[in-house]
Amino acid sequence: MIIAVSGKGGTGKTLVSSLLIKSLMGKGKDILAIDADPDSNLPEALGIHVDRSVGDVREELKKDTAEGNIPPEANKWDILDYKIMESLLETPEFDLMVMGRPEGSGCYCAVNNILRKIIDRLSANYDIIIIDTEAGLEHLSRRTTQNVDIILMVTDPSKRGILTAKRIEELSKNLDISFKRKYLILNRVKPGKEDELTREVNEIGLEVAGIIHEDEQVENYDRKGKALIELPDDSQAFKSISQIMEVILKKI
Amino acid sequence: MFKDIPVDVSPMHEGERIRAANMFVELAGPKSMGAELIQVDEDIENGDLKIIGPDLSEMTEGEIYPFGVYVKIQGDKLEKELEGVIERRIHELSNYVKGFMHLNQRDQIWCRVSKEAFEAGFKLLDYAKALSILLQEDFPLIEKITVTILTDETDVASFLETTKEAYDYRDSRARELSDEDVDVFYGCTMCQSFAPSHVCIVTPDRTALCGAINWFDCRAAAKMDPEGAIFEVEKGDVIDATTGEYSNVNAVVADKSQGVTERIFLHSLFDYPHTSCGCFEAVAFYIPELDGIGIVSRDFGGETPLGIPFSTMAGQCSGGKQVEGFVGLSLEYMRSPKFLQADGAYERIVWMPKEVKESLIEFIPGELYDKIPTEEEAGSIKDIRRFLRENEHPIRERLKQSRELAVTEEEPVSDTSEFEDGYEVEDGGTPVAYVPQMTVPGSSNGVKIIFKNAKIYAEKVIIKKNGK
Repeated sequence: MIIAVSGKGGTGKTLVSSLLIKSLMGKGKDILAIDADPDSNLPEALGIHVDRSVGDVREELKKDTAEGNIPPEANKWDILDYKIMESLLETPEFDLMVMGRPEGSGCYCAVNNILRKIIDRLSANYDIIIIDTEAGLEHLSRRTTQNVDIILMVTDPSKRGILTAKRIEELSKNLDISFKRKYLILNRVKPGKEDELTREVNEIGLEVAGIIHEDEQVENYDRKGKALIELPDDSQAFKSISQIMEVILKKI
Repeated sequence: MFKDIPVDVSPMHEGERIRAANMFVELAGPKSMGAELIQVDEDIENGDLKIIGPDLSEMTEGEIYPFGVYVKIQGDKLEKELEGVIERRIHELSNYVKGFMHLNQRDQIWCRVSKEAFEAGFKLLDYAKALSILLQEDFPLIEKITVTILTDETDVASFLETTKEAYDYRDSRARELSDEDVDVFYGCTMCQSFAPSHVCIVTPDRTALCGAINWFDCRAAAKMDPEGAIFEVEKGDVIDATTGEYSNVNAVVADKSQGVTERIFLHSLFDYPHTSCGCFEAVAFYIPELDGIGIVSRDFGGETPLGIPFSTMAGQCSGGKQVEGFVGLSLEYMRSPKFLQADGAYERIVWMPKEVKESLIEFIPGELYDKIPTEEEAGSIKDIRRFLRENEHPIRERLKQSRELAVTEEEPVSDTSEFEDGYEVEDGGTPVAYVPQMTVPGSSNGVKIIFKNAKIYAEKVIIKKNGK
């Protein structure tokens, strides 16, 4: 199952991604987390450090090719496959792939085309894939040919956040990949505002999967730069996301 | 056939990855060492399978071990040249074994055995057995096969030495591969999303313009994805070996470009140059004033001697257009023995950025190296001309010859008496003006004469004041 998490920057997208992963851990599932937003900090939220992204691997291959370092008779695509596997950060609970920066100058058509196949084949080995992706979704369509089961759009209660979610929803219709289900998660909601916001969101045609309230603990973690995945199991935010995940898993 | 092997062996397991969390042990890979090699050997006993060093049962869970796979084959029709092709199959075939992950090839392999396979009683000897059967099935030419697995550090280290020699030999053979040695080239239409009529032709002597793929990469890609944007092109009859024109290449290019381009020369920028998508690493451009060719790379930020930067020039000749006098190319193509061979190769090159020139020090003929100016020596056509003259670049011979030819063929038209009142412009070579479009001034009787893409050669240009 592939779940993509999208939303305007700063709305809690990475909080949702990291807690989704936390909620799936310890259940005997093979989990792959993909950080597909160059501006996000999913590795930090997961408490790990990644040295090498897919983007770095791509640049290395381009450089090695230009400098003639690749043996002429060797299969370049197998080398790429190996390097992608090497860039994967493997933990006992989940594996993480970081997409990294976009292309430099020059042509990447051939490399990207093969890269997409390699990533698709690699992904097929996992039970659940969580993709933290930027609001534009272009990365997503450039990086995978597979269909995404669920897209979770995360927003805070601001008008701008909700409109961005709507825009993502519209954008998702125009991509080569299709989404089976689309949900909205409202983050940083003040108690008492739930119904009003839900109504507002329903009016623009989006389905609310769940609500995360304002959470002092999360703010504390953010401020101190602590890994969000280490939030205690009884944290309000974590409990909300676990519930949301249950609802989603039931419907699929 | 695989009944004594405790795990399933089938193509359906291809692409299987074993997460670190699920693996029993890792073999070779980035944190250890390892290699695989197939060699033809006349003196072997069929089915001899050996494990030298600890097998899985003597390994510790979660650890990483060195790993060598040494396969020897024999068969009446087996030639040494096939070793590489057969060896490359090890990767796919090894992945048929459920619970065994295999990545890459040569001395860059990376394997893992899953906990599940180990618990089912899987041993490295089973792997050796599966591999020997699968290879023989795939290549019936193999009459006898032996597989030796090495897991001891000293053995693997000395095995690496043996493999290196074999790979170097194969690479040197591959480097020698030329257009004449193969019947099949490859076409690539990956860039048609933005250059709809562009078709790239990749041959052993000509890598793709983007520099990302060579003939071998295309062969692998076409095999991996037969329906994909990279496909085989039978080269057909040789129309001209020097310009690199082939009957079926023309036919395929015409077909895949929707008829826009009907002929291409692989090794020339005149008449029918290879089209360009926009991805190229460099552009070769004709400089009519010097009858020479300049080269500018994507990374060169300044202006070319034509007074325009790379980006402007790239815009003029990209998008699948066939523009005579311009051709996009990869940096690797400049290392090819057929590099613009129809145009005179390096003897015709009169300018290139310093960075590019330095990267080609082994490929530019030694006696020419110092005769080709870079941006440091020449920024304009005038500078280049001076540099070529001072350094006796062979292009001057070419210019001289063509001028003599022109003089003998045509009667001189100018009347020397005019010189006294006029100005004479002559600067070492034949002045040539290249104009994409111009209108001849002074034609007042209602007729307008327009030249398009005209090259105007003049022995002398005389500017006179009216009335004199």
